[in-house]
Amino acid sequence: MSEQQGILSKLIALITYKKKNRPKTFTLAEMGEGQDAGNPNTNDQSNNRKKNSGDSRSNNTENIVQDSVKQQEKIVPGKPRRRALKKPFSPSELKSTRIEGDKVRSDIDSNIEVIKQVFGLPKNKDLIIREFQVGRKRRAFIAYLDGMADKNIINMYILSPLFKVQESDLPEGKGLNSSLESIIETNDTKNQDSIKKVATEILKGNTALYVHGLDYFLTCETIGFEKRGVEAPKTEGIVKGPQEAFGENLRTNVALLRRIIRNSNLITEFFEVGEKSSTTVAVLYLRDVVNPAIVKEVSRRLSNIAIDFLGNAGMLEELIEDNPYSIIPTILSTERPDRTASHIVEGRVAIVVDGAPFAMIVPVTMNALMHSPEDSSLKWQYTVGLRAIRFFAFFAASMLPGLYIAITTFHREMIPTDLLIAIAKAKENVPFPTIIEILLMEMGFELIREAGIRIPGIIGNTLGIIGALILGEAAVSANIVSPVLIIIVAVTGLSNFAIPNYSLAFGVRLARFYYILAGALLGFYGIVLALGGYVLMLVNLKSFGIPFLAVIAPKGRKSKDVILRWPLWMQEARPDYLNPLDRRRQPEIARRWAQEDPDKA
Amino acid sequence: MIREGHFGFYEAFSLMTIVLITKLFYTSPMVIIKSLGTAAWYGTLISCGITLVFFALLFSLMARFPQQDLYQIFEAVTGKIVGKILILIFAVYLLYKAGITLAEFIAVLNVYSMPYTPQSVLVFAFLLLVVAMAYVGLEGIARVAYVFFYPIIGSLFLLLLLAIPNYDYCYLTPLLGHGLLRTMETGVIRSAAYGEIVFLAVIINSIHGLKNFKKVGFITVISAGVIFSLCLSCILAAFQYTVGGEHLSGMYQLSRIIYFSRFLQRVESIFLFIWVITSLITVSFAFYLALSSYCRAFKIQNHRPLLLPFSTLVFVLALYPDNIAEIIEVHVKVLRAYSSLILMFIPIMVLIMALIRGKKGEKANDQAKP
Repeated sequence: MSEQQGILSKLIALITYKKKNRPKTFTLAEMGEGQDAGNPNTNDQSNNRKKNSGDSRSNNTENIVQDSVKQQEKIVPGKPRRRALKKPFSPSELKSTRIEGDKVRSDIDSNIEVIKQVFGLPKNKDLIIREFQVGRKRRAFIAYLDGMADKNIINMYILSPLFKVQESDLPEGKGLNSSLESIIETNDTKNQDSIKKVATEILKGNTALYVHGLDYFLTCETIGFEKRGVEAPKTEGIVKGPQEAFGENLRTNVALLRRIIRNSNLITEFFEVGEKSSTTVAVLYLRDVVNPAIVKEVSRRLSNIAIDFLGNAGMLEELIEDNPYSIIPTILSTERPDRTASHIVEGRVAIVVDGAPFAMIVPVTMNALMHSPEDSSLKWQYTVGLRAIRFFAFFAASMLPGLYIAITTFHREMIPTDLLIAIAKAKENVPFPTIIEILLMEMGFELIREAGIRIPGIIGNTLGIIGALILGEAAVSANIVSPVLIIIVAVTGLSNFAIPNYSLAFGVRLARFYYILAGALLGFYGIVLALGGYVLMLVNLKSFGIPFLAVIAPKGRKSKDVILRWPLWMQEARPDYLNPLDRRRQPEIARRWAQEDPDKA
Repeated sequence: MIREGHFGFYEAFSLMTIVLITKLFYTSPMVIIKSLGTAAWYGTLISCGITLVFFALLFSLMARFPQQDLYQIFEAVTGKIVGKILILIFAVYLLYKAGITLAEFIAVLNVYSMPYTPQSVLVFAFLLLVVAMAYVGLEGIARVAYVFFYPIIGSLFLLLLLAIPNYDYCYLTPLLGHGLLRTMETGVIRSAAYGEIVFLAVIINSIHGLKNFKKVGFITVISAGVIFSLCLSCILAAFQYTVGGEHLSGMYQLSRIIYFSRFLQRVESIFLFIWVITSLITVSFAFYLALSSYCRAFKIQNHRPLLLPFSTLVFVLALYPDNIAEIIEVHVKVLRAYSSLILMFIPIMVLIMALIRGKKGEKANDQAKP
């Protein structure tokens, strides 16, 4: 009944006036807009931040205690007490409430108990707690996760020095801290007085050391789990240019970027996302170039994600993008450090998720998705040609089957007579209407492609090619499809592979069926209407406040790297739509040697 | 008040130019060639000149009330009740324009390109997209117009160029057509064909004020006049005025006669693209402004719940005319010959009232003080 009411009220809402609050959206001031246009955005942001920070429920036990105290204070004396209705705690909050306080105790037994409780010992078998005595008089223990920490580092640089310590080397009181830090031989140590932070460090692969009497843990960097090395890119391979790709290790990925951008203004901020997984997410940007509003917005979105598990970059993309219902991606994913670095230098922000071999670049525009990492390695004349092919591929991959069906079904008069006769001859023995032919072939092609990915190794690729050939040949021989259609589907498939961005290629694959439907229903008229709808969607997309078609619509300052790529020495300014702090990329004359007299040099 | 967004000079120019030149693809060339004969190509320039004079008057009205749009000026000069009535007249006119433009487009489409598809299906599909455009709002419509502007203008000029072998420039003579007086008279009456420029004053706050308003207005009217004149000359040169006055869509016919070789012929597809997109933008613009005007008159904050009832009205209006003759003889005549009573007469009367009553906007008053 209630469901029926819901549907009814939704139907009524379509024809009646109902005031709705607009969701607040983040927008950057657009080209030509003055300061006035920018200010409301900042207000919106601050309001959003306030609202979100007010809404978010902290896991910290202290906050929970404070909240309950505040609730008790609100009760007015004299009025009958009503039982307060509370939202139930999440399991993690319940767990943290069981531990009385987050502070580290000053006795070793309590701390061992707390650590065991936090990590669910004795059921949990991969946490190692090793008890020993320092200087034969003080009890101490270390805790680390088996497999996450490097045992050699623990043995050689933590345990061994501690065993060798003499009783006289250990001073009492505050002196013990500096003494311990000089005894431990690992590269990085931190004092942690919060159990939660200690647990986080252990989860990262570090080792926590506690010595009886202290009110803090000493965490030592011992991260040493198995990881894949730096390999060649798998989906963004190029001929001319660097041949290394990101891996699964966050530190390695950040280091790869730092190695390219050797600049002290490159900032790396860390966030933790995922209530259960506590996945580390790094945000990288050049602080003297990037628009601070973009960094703030990225931080705001990352800090306001309430999800239990973050497994990969794709999941995060879904959580932070502006238009989750759009079939076109508004975040650029790349596995190439060189490409990421070039975007950071342009004034964009890179987001790297621990465990994901991809970096996400925000904000991006349509033209960035159509650029290939190879563009900057090649001479500009070649790049212009390649880009023209890519744009043709974009239109062919999305519209070619739709146009074919529209013209052959509705507007045969548009086809030159000779070609019309050729098509008619080829189609003579085929019993199906064109729409069925196209759908059959498209489905066959998509099946081969999907199966090719699942089948391991080289067989997958072979199956793809052989499958397509056999399927096409057999379909033509059996008079199921016409040979012209095989050409159409093959060109469409090839065009799809020519699109340089993997997610965009997926979006185009979906759009193709939309155009096929439009063409089959209303011919060229339907195709043009569908194109109008598609462009309408594109002009309304935003990527972190930047219009997705920026430079084209809204029209911005001329850029020398949109569809055409002009020579590198002509690209003097960073993209205008990003409103970077430093607009100038290089001086007006980048090739200073060309101005000099070679004889005088 | 509805948040209509902001857009710049180029978007506004593209939008208004497309809105003005759309009628070129329908029956307008036929009507004007029929009434002016070989003088049609400069008859439209006379209309363009009259519109420029009107726009100068409109600009002086807008300059008296800076930071206010035309509807706010109506209310400020004529009072709240009369002002709202004037806004409602505009809303009804816009709705009528959306419906009849759609009816005209569908009728011509039905004749030339989709003879077997029921008109209701064509109207329904078109309206789906119009509703989507109106849902997004004015900023979205302007951006779509800008994205398509260069392909539309490029394709239009390509068509005119490809048809060059068919032109016979002797067909443009006698230069005076049916007589200079008749040309002048028709030129003045048909200045309503450019009357949509008045809507620029309604959306003035979205185009960053007076400076852009003036620039966009004058450049748009001149560009539209040149395009109109050029296309009419080409139609006349290709078909001569007797045949040119018989074709339902002169431009479509022009695209059909293009023949370079057995392979390069019948390039109607290019024309169909321009035709559908320009119609889509024009109808969406009129439909959205009708909605927006209605919301302004009744102080409705959100236009989206009105999309369904208004689109139903447009659907009914588009299917209301019995046949294409009724569309041309009754409705199009009202739109392109007599609509100046609404589009031009009302703003001029408001300007005269403002002058008589000495009404000025806040900033204008401040500037007037020493």
